[in-house]
Amino acid sequence: MNDAVAVTLVGVLGITGSLLVLVSAIAMFRVRDALSRINVFSPATGLGLPLIVVAAFVYDLHAEGFRLGSLLMAIVAVVCLITVSSVASNTLARASVLSGQPIHRKTSPNRLARPPEGVVDVDPDAVDDSEHRD
Amino acid sequence: MRVVVSICILILAAAIIVGLMRVLTAKDLGSRAIVSDLMYFAALGILTMFGMLASSSIVLDAIFLASMVGILATIALARILTRGQR
Repeated sequence: MNDAVAVTLVGVLGITGSLLVLVSAIAMFRVRDALSRINVFSPATGLGLPLIVVAAFVYDLHAEGFRLGSLLMAIVAVVCLITVSSVASNTLARASVLSGQPIHRKTSPNRLARPPEGVVDVDPDAVDDSEHRD
Repeated sequence: MRVVVSICILILAAAIIVGLMRVLTAKDLGSRAIVSDLMYFAALGILTMFGMLASSSIVLDAIFLASMVGILATIALARILTRGQR
């Protein structure tokens, strides 16, 4: 591989991945509770770290030539980062809900479980027959 | 190669510093757990970039192993949050 091509690929992939991690870190300030932080954490592990792995694979390809072991290792690393971080985020989100961490009102997760605003339980036009019963 | 890798290290170090500030200012334990998880992955990226800077041949091995066992820290933090119960 040409030297300039390798440097360009490593630069684009690595800097994009690093910027995604940095943006996730900044987004930790923008959202208000632990559930939303777990939500905005996923660009770092779902896209940023796999891009860094691909940059490391391009570097390895440039430095030592193509090896099948390196390719397998990079593929397994990307798959592990995506699946493992998803499962881990799910576990951490479940733990943070179960342990009663505070939830901001804008990210209240059970909005569908409650009746919406302005709901009445009794029909106002129904005839009230409670006095005719006895 | 040295310049772009140094830029990546600087960006990841900035992410770790921002995460440390967030851990210091966070009120609840869940936020601290998730931000420290983010810092783990940023440190993993820095490790990879240092391997490239040192012309090491085990860059991919390191990130492969660290991405496979990265779930353990998160699971441990989640288990600590629920005080040992599932």
